Amino acid sequence: MSLSLPRAAAPRRRSTRPPLVPYLYLLPFALLFLVFVVYPVGYGFYVSLHRWDLLAETRPFVGLEYYRNLFDPSTPQAQFFWNSMRNTALFTLVSVPLLIGTALGLALLLYRPIFGRAFFRAVFFLPGILTVSVMGILWRWMFDNQIGLVNAVRTDLLDLPPVPFLSTEGLAWLPIVVGTVWWTVGFNMTLYLAALGNISQSYYEAAEIDGATSWAKFRFITWPLLGPVTLFVFVTTVLASFQLFGQTLVITAGGPNRTTQSAIQYITEEAFSNNQFSSAAAMSFVFGLVMLIFTFLQFRIMAKDARGES
Amino acid sequence: MTASLSRTVLLALLALGGAAHAQYTGPKVTLTYLHGFTGADRPVMERLIQQFNATHPNIQVRAQAQPWGTTWQQLPALVASGRAPDVVVINEDQITNFIARGAVSPLTDAELKAAGINKARFYGPLFKTADYEGRSYGVPISSVAYVTFYNKDLMKKMGITKVPTTRAELLAAARACTTDKNGRKPGQAGFDPKNLDTWGISLYNNWVGSRLAYAAILQNGGSLVDKTLNASFNSPQAVEAVQFLVDLVQKHGVARPNSTEEAELAAFSQGKVCFFPSGQWYLDRFEGQKMNFGVAFVPRIGSKQDAAWGGSSHLTLPRQRPGYDANKRRAALEFINWMTQPAQNLTWTEAGSLPTMPAVANDKKFEGRPISGVFEKLGSIYATSGFPWSGQVLGPFDNAWANAYSGKMSVKAALDAGVSEANKQIQQARKTFQ
Repeated sequence: MSLSLPRAAAPRRRSTRPPLVPYLYLLPFALLFLVFVVYPVGYGFYVSLHRWDLLAETRPFVGLEYYRNLFDPSTPQAQFFWNSMRNTALFTLVSVPLLIGTALGLALLLYRPIFGRAFFRAVFFLPGILTVSVMGILWRWMFDNQIGLVNAVRTDLLDLPPVPFLSTEGLAWLPIVVGTVWWTVGFNMTLYLAALGNISQSYYEAAEIDGATSWAKFRFITWPLLGPVTLFVFVTTVLASFQLFGQTLVITAGGPNRTTQSAIQYITEEAFSNNQFSSAAAMSFVFGLVMLIFTFLQFRIMAKDARGES
Repeated sequence: MTASLSRTVLLALLALGGAAHAQYTGPKVTLTYLHGFTGADRPVMERLIQQFNATHPNIQVRAQAQPWGTTWQQLPALVASGRAPDVVVINEDQITNFIARGAVSPLTDAELKAAGINKARFYGPLFKTADYEGRSYGVPISSVAYVTFYNKDLMKKMGITKVPTTRAELLAAARACTTDKNGRKPGQAGFDPKNLDTWGISLYNNWVGSRLAYAAILQNGGSLVDKTLNASFNSPQAVEAVQFLVDLVQKHGVARPNSTEEAELAAFSQGKVCFFPSGQWYLDRFEGQKMNFGVAFVPRIGSKQDAAWGGSSHLTLPRQRPGYDANKRRAALEFINWMTQPAQNLTWTEAGSLPTMPAVANDKKFEGRPISGVFEKLGSIYATSGFPWSGQVLGPFDNAWANAYSGKMSVKAALDAGVSEANKQIQQARKTFQ
């Protein structure tokens, strides 16, 4: 689709001065951006280079000490920060394919004119309006070691021993991942439904005349034409997954043994429980850098796609 | 009777009544008061403030309620910028940190005396919660504590007539309460501790569960930190105390392994467990369920003293900018004194708090109420305070408890690992406090 703007009248006289009006329009946002983004980020960087406490009389410059701590294996920060980064990466790796695959599957099912379509669309979309604490408590209860529904089914219906999901390393991820998919899949599904609606039926009619199977139609028509929306869903889901915080906090509190502690959760602990603000600031910058690299890579892929190189 | 004589008599009467302190007589001041009582306790606090304002024409208290977490984040900035409120309520887990960072100012003996605040009227350990390096920084206004809820019906069914107060009694009662799904008792051949139908005591894996370990360690003469304020919860006394609790699961089979607080709470409500140690804040819930239950002090697991964990809130005076109006400080102390008087504390217990002083615990109002079962030992409740790095100590301690209780590590290994982690973090935190 090409956007054609009404052609502006050619200027009568070429002005050498840059036009002022666009900048005036940008000014309010620029001011907010400076005050609420640039300044805090800069101040945060200053904090990370000093031994900083609002109440301290001196805030000595310590250079990169807090960054070095993150790479010195003998410090708790190095141990727990990279542990929480690994946890976050693991969560992203597991949950993103599920969140995209499930969303696409549901969208394909609910795009067809089946009975109760609107009802099911609502059913899958509605969990997304819950707050993270409600969602977290719900899934914590579902997977509770003793009273959870999952274990009740195991013991009472299947006659299997109960599994202590919440206190077993590794298994504790199950309620977090399943809960997150249940909670957020509706949003991606809605995006896919909208994209499916934009695919012209004529492609499918032509394919049917050629005798294409359902799989072939999906493989050669639906999937390629969903490309741009898949990329969008991929980028936003990866970024959202990296920001994992509330789910692990409510469902497992980061346990057992910090195996489900997310990066943001550890940074919060370091800042507000340990009162090590400079250390937390340094971690935030390292974390931010990793996110930036990811976003950069994704933008590269998106740009390639936009040029039709993918 | 002349006017001056009647005044003398009145003063004498006041002195006899124990209220012989100089009332604030300065010019009219307005105090800002920041507190975190934002739940069901908020209307009670607001009522008290109204009462204070009505009876103190030259002091107007303007209160602001906001979540505790917001206060902890804002207080340093407010103090640093010279805009601190006149009075702030700080909780036991935060107070030493704010004291060590210089956010609150000490209350001198002379000031306390002038305002009529007598330390001796409070429970000793409760008042000391806000002490640091020999000085006092706050006056307790509210208190919660770890208690043992017990199910009277189940105990009766199992033939237990006495609420256990010692380690031996607890173990005996817990064994009597325990039956597996096939009806076997601990010690009988074929007893299956993994499939319990009823059991003796609730243990669980979160921070609330770990407060029982804290009580046991204190009872054994141990502590969380040593004299230099380094973590010390792996002392022989601590290991012995925690080992007894873990043995309740692993050796005696009278508590469930790998349980959560919700699961134990549900089990206690359903009459499956005799003793449920937890915060006294569950009182309302059990009363609402019309359960036949009682409340007792945590049984004496250790060999040295009675002890249980408690949380508390303290009225404090933040550090103010130079040139702060001295009248405001005097008025604030008057407010603190009034707010922590027995009459006000009695009102405050409606908000779910325990009495902060014996004078209130003895009130007729509590006679026959389940909670009065712990009143005799309210003086043995200890907060986790006195060291500025509560996060650095309690995080590793709670984790160590979870690892020991779940059987992931031996008690000694779990506590050693926790202490090692805590001390590494304390070493870093010390730099910030220099």
